[in-house]
Amino acid sequence: MTFGPSGGNVGMYVAREMLEAVPADQQEAYLRMVESISELKYQLGVEVARQLPRLIAQSDPDLVARYLTQVSDVAKLGWRSGVEVAKQLPDLYEAPDPELADNYVTIIGDATTGTAAGAGSAEMADELAQLEREIQEMEPKVKRAQELRTQLAAEDRRDEKRKKHAVELATALPPLLARLRPRHRETYLVQVQRVAAADPEAALEAADTLLDLLNGERVSHDGAVEWVSRGLEVLERNKEVGRGYFRLGSKFSLDVLEELREGLALKSIARVLKLYATALSGRDIAIRSSEDANTLEIYTADHIVLPADMRVFDEERQNFAAYKVATAQGAGRIEFGTYLLSLDDITETVTAIQTKYGE
Amino acid sequence: MGVESQRVEEFRLTKEPYYLPLGHEVELFEAAYNAKLPVMLKGPTGCGKTRFVEHMSWRLGRTLITVACHEDLTASDLVGKYTLQNDATVWQDGPLTTAVKSGGIAYLDEVVEARKDTTVVIHPLTDDRRVLPIEKKGEIVQAPDDFMLVISYNPGYQSVLKDLKHSTKQRFVAIEFDYPKADLEEIILQEEAGIDADTAAKLVKIAEKVRNLRTHGLEEGVSTRLLVYAGQLMAAGVEAVEACEATICKPITDDVEMQRSIVEIIATQF
Repeated sequence: MTFGPSGGNVGMYVAREMLEAVPADQQEAYLRMVESISELKYQLGVEVARQLPRLIAQSDPDLVARYLTQVSDVAKLGWRSGVEVAKQLPDLYEAPDPELADNYVTIIGDATTGTAAGAGSAEMADELAQLEREIQEMEPKVKRAQELRTQLAAEDRRDEKRKKHAVELATALPPLLARLRPRHRETYLVQVQRVAAADPEAALEAADTLLDLLNGERVSHDGAVEWVSRGLEVLERNKEVGRGYFRLGSKFSLDVLEELREGLALKSIARVLKLYATALSGRDIAIRSSEDANTLEIYTADHIVLPADMRVFDEERQNFAAYKVATAQGAGRIEFGTYLLSLDDITETVTAIQTKYGE
Repeated sequence: MGVESQRVEEFRLTKEPYYLPLGHEVELFEAAYNAKLPVMLKGPTGCGKTRFVEHMSWRLGRTLITVACHEDLTASDLVGKYTLQNDATVWQDGPLTTAVKSGGIAYLDEVVEARKDTTVVIHPLTDDRRVLPIEKKGEIVQAPDDFMLVISYNPGYQSVLKDLKHSTKQRFVAIEFDYPKADLEEIILQEEAGIDADTAAKLVKIAEKVRNLRTHGLEEGVSTRLLVYAGQLMAAGVEAVEACEATICKPITDDVEMQRSIVEIIATQF
């Protein structure tokens, strides 16, 4: 037999023989009654299920209702008393004195709730309930306090780390500043400061990279500001990725740099220009950047000194053409010895020119 | 006239190949031929060595059998081998044997590329014996007076692993070639490519500049042959820069930067 959906867990309390003891037309009502009483306590349901068939068999619905009410009332005061009452009441209903069962229920009810001493307990219970409510209300605050404690501890750790990197930056910065070309100083300092305020560890990377970018003329001052701004956005989202950006260790960082690069870098086409000059002049010619000019005698026979970046035009093709013109001029100077003329050997020079070009 | 003779006659040039002498190489070659001396032509690729031999072959009225040597070329390939024909084993003369027997000019182009065993058959032909031993047949073929052995040799290609032994080099009269002087090269281009003097001058100027890049990453400069190709393409209507890139720039280097610098050199003229 199945009890169907309405049966709920009642099958746990109702044995097959109990159900069979109930007339078929009342079995469903029986199950509902058991289920209802068991909501107070399942042990109560077990006992009521055991006793009810006996009462139902008397075909007195009032008696059944009285039984369920009395059991329920006592059980609300104390479920263990309720279970015992549920067990004893059917016998008491059959006593000659019809009031005996009611008296029994009253006695057990009073015994369960108590009298004077019980009032004190009730007060205490009320107070306890109140306190528990207050504690329950406090719980979110306690939780928040714990969160704040954790966050502050992490903040402290970060602060320690930050101080450590600030010290490292303090050590690293002076040698970098010594290598920085004076015209880049203002931009460099402002940009390093921006990164340092956000993350000293990233500032260590940025200080190093910016030095190369600016000294190497790989970005303009505006380009450096933009490159740092884009890096700070990355840093805000993720510290580690941001540090990689300032180390030029990410594709995005390189892409931004490429995007910001203005003009044409000599480095990227130096070999083409060298070959071009060598082909034109028939001499082994080296191309040097103007950045190195202070270490070179710029009119040395085998050097052509060119700017590190060509930004004369907007288009790379035109900037390359500008480089080419400068290279061709340099190659011509070298081939024809523009700066090699000396009055000491003017006689030989004139003779050589006459031989080459005639009178 | 036998079948063999008919085949040899196919190697006789009937039309004069164009050749502009750069110096006294024609006289030198003729003197060597008359003295029955073998000749070694030295020079960079595309400078006119093969054209010179063709010209001399026509000039001397001799057949010319050319063998382009390669690393798999063996002495048997030159001398001959037994082959199967209709269930029979038949001896087939190699090109060197054919040239020796017919008294023509045998031209071994880039001989250093061939296997070392080829020098074994060359040596007896290059001294006063002038014989070709055919080992597999147990024969020795005496070269007639009008036979001449010519080899070509590009010093720029040689390495420790591939070079002619001195014992081989010193058996030949060497005629050294280089790219022609500008005025001569211009004439050659006009003649060979059918272009005007101005275009020829520009091509030669480009070549002169590009040849300056030898030892700077270019193994060899632009050959006269490539200049002729450029001129031929231009004469056929190809735009000058495109023609030059296809012939002067791209064939001689795969180095992108070198190619770009050559393109810029081309741009100075066209």
